Amino acid sequence: MAQGNTRKIFVGLKSATPVIALIALFSLAATSLWAADASKITVGLSITQTGPFSAPALFELHGYQLAADEINQHGGLLGKQINLVYYDDQANPSTGVQLYQKLITSDRVELLLGPYETDLVAAVAPIVTRAKMVMPALGANIGNYQGQYPYLVQAIAQTAQYMAPVVDLAAAKGYKTIALLVQETQFPKEVAQGIKDGAAKKGLQIVFESSYPPGTTDFGPLVLKAAATHPDVIIGATYLVDAEGIVRAAKAQNVNAKMFAFTIGPVEPEFNTALGPAAQGMMGTTLWFPTLKTPGNAEFVKNYQAKFNQMPDYHAAVAYSALIALSKAVQQVGSLDQTKIRNAMLNLSFQSVCGPFKLNNTGLQIGYSSYVLQWQNGKQVLVWPKDAANATPIIPHAGWN
Amino acid sequence: MLHDYALLTITGLLWGGVYLLMAEGLNLIYGVMKVVNLAHGDFIVAGGLLAVTLFSTYQLSPITALPIAGFLLLLVGLAVQTGILERLVGGGSQAEIRTLLATFGLSYIVSNVALLLWGGQVQSIPFLQGAVKVGGLAIPENLLVCSIIAFIVAGSVHFWLTQTISGKTVRATAQSELGAASCGLNIKMIRAVTFALGSAMAGAAGAITIVLIPFQSTSGGDLTVQSFTVIALGGLGDYVGAVLAALLLGLTQSFTSYFLGSNVAAAMVYLLFIVVLIFRPQGLLGRAGRV
Repeated sequence: MAQGNTRKIFVGLKSATPVIALIALFSLAATSLWAADASKITVGLSITQTGPFSAPALFELHGYQLAADEINQHGGLLGKQINLVYYDDQANPSTGVQLYQKLITSDRVELLLGPYETDLVAAVAPIVTRAKMVMPALGANIGNYQGQYPYLVQAIAQTAQYMAPVVDLAAAKGYKTIALLVQETQFPKEVAQGIKDGAAKKGLQIVFESSYPPGTTDFGPLVLKAAATHPDVIIGATYLVDAEGIVRAAKAQNVNAKMFAFTIGPVEPEFNTALGPAAQGMMGTTLWFPTLKTPGNAEFVKNYQAKFNQMPDYHAAVAYSALIALSKAVQQVGSLDQTKIRNAMLNLSFQSVCGPFKLNNTGLQIGYSSYVLQWQNGKQVLVWPKDAANATPIIPHAGWN
Repeated sequence: MLHDYALLTITGLLWGGVYLLMAEGLNLIYGVMKVVNLAHGDFIVAGGLLAVTLFSTYQLSPITALPIAGFLLLLVGLAVQTGILERLVGGGSQAEIRTLLATFGLSYIVSNVALLLWGGQVQSIPFLQGAVKVGGLAIPENLLVCSIIAFIVAGSVHFWLTQTISGKTVRATAQSELGAASCGLNIKMIRAVTFALGSAMAGAAGAITIVLIPFQSTSGGDLTVQSFTVIALGGLGDYVGAVLAALLLGLTQSFTSYFLGSNVAAAMVYLLFIVVLIFRPQGLLGRAGRV
């Protein structure tokens, strides 16, 4: 009987197949027609709209949308209104590849924007390059911008820059030694390399370095070993969960240092909700902050809140600036000639809401840096570099009790 | 040095308790029903995220959230067993495959519902972040509490299974469904109670371990694998075996990550698993067909 039911379902599916195919065809035709509208410039991308990685990606999408709106309000691009065409890649690189294929060959979009995160950027880079279309990409790891994908330009700070101002702050306070805890994955490893290079330049010494696999839950042994070297500064090249784990272990074992700083973790509001009072004094870095005095930043925050009814985060600001950068290059060129747009982007130099946007001759971002933030009394404040700060850093760390 | 050894031993044993806490529900269900509940980890996650909501919205501590999460997951478990698993027909190895597939599908449903309810962000609760000082050793409070709860649960389930009539009927069912049924036991009800209880244990475990290990909606798969490793190492369905296995895993992890680095520690757990499978394929204390 159960088998009979299964068969029925299969038969049902079979008879529905032509209908599904027809719907698919229609929707394809509809998007193609839409894309061919001559009064508009279509800008295409895939973005992670659903699934566990969608939260930061949606901020990026909103950033793009806000930039498109503003450009359209100011007369559009080359006299035409921007029409954003985007699909959900569900954070799956192979889906991303198919979608960029579709954007390029069937939707025939005129400009491209990048998807969310390094893995997807790396996956779509070859197709975008083959199609010779410029793509401002929001992948921080530097591997994609070494000249092999000439049409990719990096519209986010390089990974190695993420902790540069932390090392700078430590040096400015006269601290001498750093203990480095590194998650054994690509992004944190590149962050760590940046920290080591920065420390060498500023005369700080790495007295301890150890890596751990993602998924590590017990950080007790690791922080104890780090503590044995009595570092002035403990830096974690981390994501969120491991940053929280290290703070918990340091508090429980009463491991003290003058400064604690982590990548990613402290920039997320969840870092504070998960750690409560233990988050006090913890430092992290961000690529953008609402109080930055960069040109247009106050309006960006105001317009974003008006449109999406929430505060923007750095993903939104970086994406917003990426589309602004692309539109500036297109305006300069005066046409949609992709090679010319690419060259214009490489020579572009302007103050975005995130700071100075500038590329080297292989498309690597050399203008953007990051800003040090600290959790003070349940709030994030910007503490370094000094000219961008809205609060003074509370250091040395007051201890765990 | 002695100080370090003592601390590593204690925290290792306590982490063993945490692994045990997460694996206990899976063990009970497998022991009685020979069903590997692949949604087990997702039940843990659901319990944990529920505790986060109770904490952030009603300021309820995870200790209070623990029975609430346990009760809600008990209802979920009851519904799953009577609504889905009990209705799958076919016996023998076919039944095992079918329940495996059904719980695999269930794991997707539970994790995606969790994603809709709580979003994808990793969450945790600031609770018991201090340490208990014992003769110069700092033992993390959250670790201690999780572990104590684990051993209490393990002890009571063991007592229930071996010392009470209702527990003995459950073990009888585990040994032979046909035999138990022919003695007049209502095996349908026993299965429903077992699955519900196992699910409740997962939910309760999640509510307290989230203070120690942050979860996100999709963490369930990893937790299932981790829990399965513990019960397979101990001998599937064997209670005392699972306790030993969990403690052994905790100790191995704590010592190897201190002396050989965290990367080696991650591999060491599975190395240990392989060694046990080669020399004692039934697990540390596993015996065929008994609980």
